[in-house]
Amino acid sequence: MTGLPARLSGSLIAAALFLTGCATHMVRLQPVRTAFQQGDLAEAERLIVAEAESGSEDDLLLLDRAMVALAAGRPADSERMLRQARDGLDRVEEESQLETAWSMLGDDQSRTYAGEDYERVLLRAMLAVSNLVQDGDDAEAYSLQVIDKQRSIVAAAAEPDGTNPKAAYQQVALAPYLRGILREETHRDYDDAARNFRLVTTWQPDFQQGPFHLARASAGTHSRPGHGVVHVLALVGQGPFKAEAEEQPTSASLLIADRILSAQMQSSLPPTVAPIRVPRIVAAPGIAGTVRVGVGDWSAGQTETITSVSQMALRQQEAMLPYQLARAVVRRVVKKGTIHGVKQGLGMRHGLPSAALDLAGVAWEASEAADTRCWSLLPDRIQVLRLELPVGTLPLGLTVLDHGGRPLGDPILQDVTVADGRNTYLLVRASDAGFVGRPLTSSSNARIDLPGEPP
Amino acid sequence: MGRVDRPIRMDRRSFFLRGIVQLPLPLLALGAAGCRSMQFARLMTPGEEGMIGSHQAGQETFTPLVNEAVAKLLARHAESAVQQVSAVDGAESMPPPMRRVCFVGVENKSAEEIGDFKEQIYQAIDARILESQVFQSVNRRFVDAGLRDTRLRPDQLLVPQQMRTFADHMEQQGQPIDYLLYATITSGTTQQNRDYQRDYLLTLELVEVGTGNYDKQSAELSKGYHHSRLGRWRAAHSHSP
Repeated sequence: MTGLPARLSGSLIAAALFLTGCATHMVRLQPVRTAFQQGDLAEAERLIVAEAESGSEDDLLLLDRAMVALAAGRPADSERMLRQARDGLDRVEEESQLETAWSMLGDDQSRTYAGEDYERVLLRAMLAVSNLVQDGDDAEAYSLQVIDKQRSIVAAAAEPDGTNPKAAYQQVALAPYLRGILREETHRDYDDAARNFRLVTTWQPDFQQGPFHLARASAGTHSRPGHGVVHVLALVGQGPFKAEAEEQPTSASLLIADRILSAQMQSSLPPTVAPIRVPRIVAAPGIAGTVRVGVGDWSAGQTETITSVSQMALRQQEAMLPYQLARAVVRRVVKKGTIHGVKQGLGMRHGLPSAALDLAGVAWEASEAADTRCWSLLPDRIQVLRLELPVGTLPLGLTVLDHGGRPLGDPILQDVTVADGRNTYLLVRASDAGFVGRPLTSSSNARIDLPGEPP
Repeated sequence: MGRVDRPIRMDRRSFFLRGIVQLPLPLLALGAAGCRSMQFARLMTPGEEGMIGSHQAGQETFTPLVNEAVAKLLARHAESAVQQVSAVDGAESMPPPMRRVCFVGVENKSAEEIGDFKEQIYQAIDARILESQVFQSVNRRFVDAGLRDTRLRPDQLLVPQQMRTFADHMEQQGQPIDYLLYATITSGTTQQNRDYQRDYLLTLELVEVGTGNYDKQSAELSKGYHHSRLGRWRAAHSHSP
């Protein structure tokens, strides 16, 4: 193999390497995830900063940094980062045809990451949560944005024939829940609260507290005189991540298609040796099940799931997988077509130069990697618990429990101040090792001492 | 052969170039046609026609509803205030003291989630009442505090005993009230295949504290939602002569 074909094959292989990344995002971010779940927030932060300095995916890394900041007791920093990431992702939300075209020559990693639909919705939910544990001034606006975002994502996917692949998406019941508890606190807009709690019971029918909230908003009051309400919000477990998976049936079908076309055109095509790779959502929630809350000796209750992030991501993947596969197949067709075009142009049908180009084509196809970019520090579940408590400062005992009700890690005590007729919010992050970072409360953002942590 | 070779080499080059550009070029052309767009904003000039909500009610619905309903209510009570003044015999007629209205809130009973419009509607009604000089409106923060302190729901205030409890509490706080004002948004939907018409009704109810007598004024607006431009055009021209 000499001359033009050799140079051409070399160029194609070089282009393939240029057009695709090296390690996938999730492989690089796995240490961050591990450090975070083990409660080593400083290490998680250091790793994210190091990754950001390498110049990759600023907005995506900002989301992970925001989760670290929230767990570390810095809700204002977290909110600022989430807002910045939201605006950044919104700017690139609309698909760029140029990028899509360019990605046909490489892989999906060459497209700017605009966030998965579930991430864009949850981003706003996390904004509401991080605002609630501060002054809560913007929490209502953020919760409205969650609902609007969900609606607009589904509406934008409507096809002219009336079908909508995103209609099957799971809705985030946390959004109407937050809106419900905020409207209830006005002591005036009980109709809004009831309307939102009705949505909660519809979207998350297995949320057992739902009917009680609805009944209270429909005919009761926020709390008895001399009492206020503590809302415990728990971010539990490890959220979903993306891993590279090989689509064997599609790859096998393409291989057969190669053979048929090669025979018909009397010219070889690069065989589909490299499998089609797509990202697959992997749910790895861990063993943390719930958070038990006690007031003094009284076991007040356990948090209950209002939104399952992993389930939401899996349902989204199920709805959108055919589209992802279609894009992967089109990419292969483009690459094979390019090789075929070059061969036609050079008048090559068989022989060594043709085989060299096929080899280059195979290398080009093999260089594709699945796009595993995702928000890696989301929780597996968002859980809530509502407690009506007498006015005053009360110590709440918090314990992470596994699915069998056994404690995980050390329990902690957190003081909360309950105000008459008002809501107080307490946010915790729970993992297999117990609590990650420190609890945050809207009544006081003072730091508390955690077991095993230097003062 | 030599004569044949040369044109073939030429063909190969042209074919090669064509082959190289054949596939990527349409892709790039497609791309050039569809770069990612940006979001822009502008200030709308006063009097400029606002946007019309394509899926639910927006300012085009609520603004005229509020304007009409509040104007009707104020007009009726402005008349009675004038009559009261002219009925006074003798020397100088003094204007009666302005009656104090406690605007309890806006209740949404329509088929739509009105989102951030609820606060907007409350503030618009409250501001208009305050400007009217017919009524004096109780500051909303006092109303909210009153509801929180008494743990009464807005709908419970119409029960005579609870109305008295609330009125007494407001008086103790230095905010006596003569009337309770409620605003309610309702809707009715008429479906015609994939198009539908929604009638929005804003009702203002003014309840006199003590007697329980009430006045009621409404404003109505209908809006058509169409699945296509053609549907909208047909509906707009079906009644023209």
